[in-house]
Amino acid sequence: MRWLFLLLGSVALAQAVATPGWVRLVPPVVKDTAAYLTLENRGKLPLRLVGAETDVAERVSFHQDHREHRGGQVVLGMRPLPYLDIPPGGRVEFRPGKYHLMLEGLKRPLKAGEKVALVLRFQDGSRLKVILPVEMR
Amino acid sequence: MKGKLLLPVLLVLALVGVAYLLLPKGPHAFYGTRLLNPKPVDFTLEGPQGPVQLSQLKDKLVLIFFGFVHCPDVCPTTMLALKRAYEKLSPKEQERVQVIFISVDPERDTPQISDQYAKGFHPSFLGLTGSPETIQEVARTFGVYYQKTQYRGPGEYLVDHTATTFVVKEGNLVLLFSPDKVEETEKVVGDLRALL
Repeated sequence: MRWLFLLLGSVALAQAVATPGWVRLVPPVVKDTAAYLTLENRGKLPLRLVGAETDVAERVSFHQDHREHRGGQVVLGMRPLPYLDIPPGGRVEFRPGKYHLMLEGLKRPLKAGEKVALVLRFQDGSRLKVILPVEMR
Repeated sequence: MKGKLLLPVLLVLALVGVAYLLLPKGPHAFYGTRLLNPKPVDFTLEGPQGPVQLSQLKDKLVLIFFGFVHCPDVCPTTMLALKRAYEKLSPKEQERVQVIFISVDPERDTPQISDQYAKGFHPSFLGLTGSPETIQEVARTFGVYYQKTQYRGPGEYLVDHTATTFVVKEGNLVLLFSPDKVEETEKVVGDLRALL
C-alpha cells in the first residue's frame, strides 16, 4: 500500500512540467522584462498557476497580450491575469505575442547568458523551479 | 536517333536559361503595405541632444516605431525584429537607414530614457519623445492610437499602442509593416533595399 502512495505522490508532483524558454535581455534602462516558457499539465487534475517568484525582480506577474484593430492597424497591449488555468493534458505557452511572465522591478540589470531561477506556485501548494537563460531575443 | 536529339534539346534548354536570366526584373513586389499615395510627414521631437526634425533626415530611409519603455513583450519584439533587419544590411546601406523609437509615454520616458532604450537594441538607433501635446499631434499624423490601461496609480499603468513600423522616404510615408510582418527579416530587408 505504501508504495502506491509514494507512486501517487510522485505522479502528483510531476503534474506540471516546464520547458524552459528564456528571460528577455532588455536595455538596462528598463526595469521590467519578460520570461518565456511552456507549461504542461501532465496530471489528471486541472492546474492553476497562482504566482511566481524570482530573486532578480521585486515581483512576477502574468500577462496576456491584447490585440485589437484600429484604423486598419494592429494595436497591441497587455492585460494582467490573476491566475492561469492549465487543463489536464493541456499546455500554456508563454511566448512573445501570447502570454508572458513579467519580471517587474529588476533589482539589477541582467547579463546575456546568465541563468535566472524562477519558482512557479500552483493553487494546490506545489511549486516548480525553472532555470531560464537570459537572451536578447 | 537518341544521340541526335540530345544536342538540340540541350541547346533549347540553354537558350531558355539564358533568356530567363536576361529577362528584365519586374518591379519589386513589396511585402509590407505600400501606400498608394505617399503621405508627406514631418515632426520635431526631443532627442537626447535636443530637438530632432524628421525632415533633417531626408537623405535616409527612416523606420519609425511608437511604443513605451515599460513594455517588455510587444515593443522589444518589434525592436529586435528591426535590429535583425538592420544588421542584415551592409555598412553602406546602414548609413542610409535610421531606426527611430518614439515613446508615447512622455510622462515616464524622458528623451534620455527613450534614447537609452533604443540604443539598447542597436547603438545607431535613436529614441525620441516630446510633450504630451506634441506626441498626440505626431501620433495623429501617422494614424497611431495609444491609450493608458490598467491604471494603478501615477507611474503605474500599461499602454496600448499601434504596433506598426512606419517607413519614411524623402519626407513621405511610403510603407508600413504590421507587427507580424516585421518579423520576416529577409522580406523586410528586401523591401528596404528596394527603397534604398
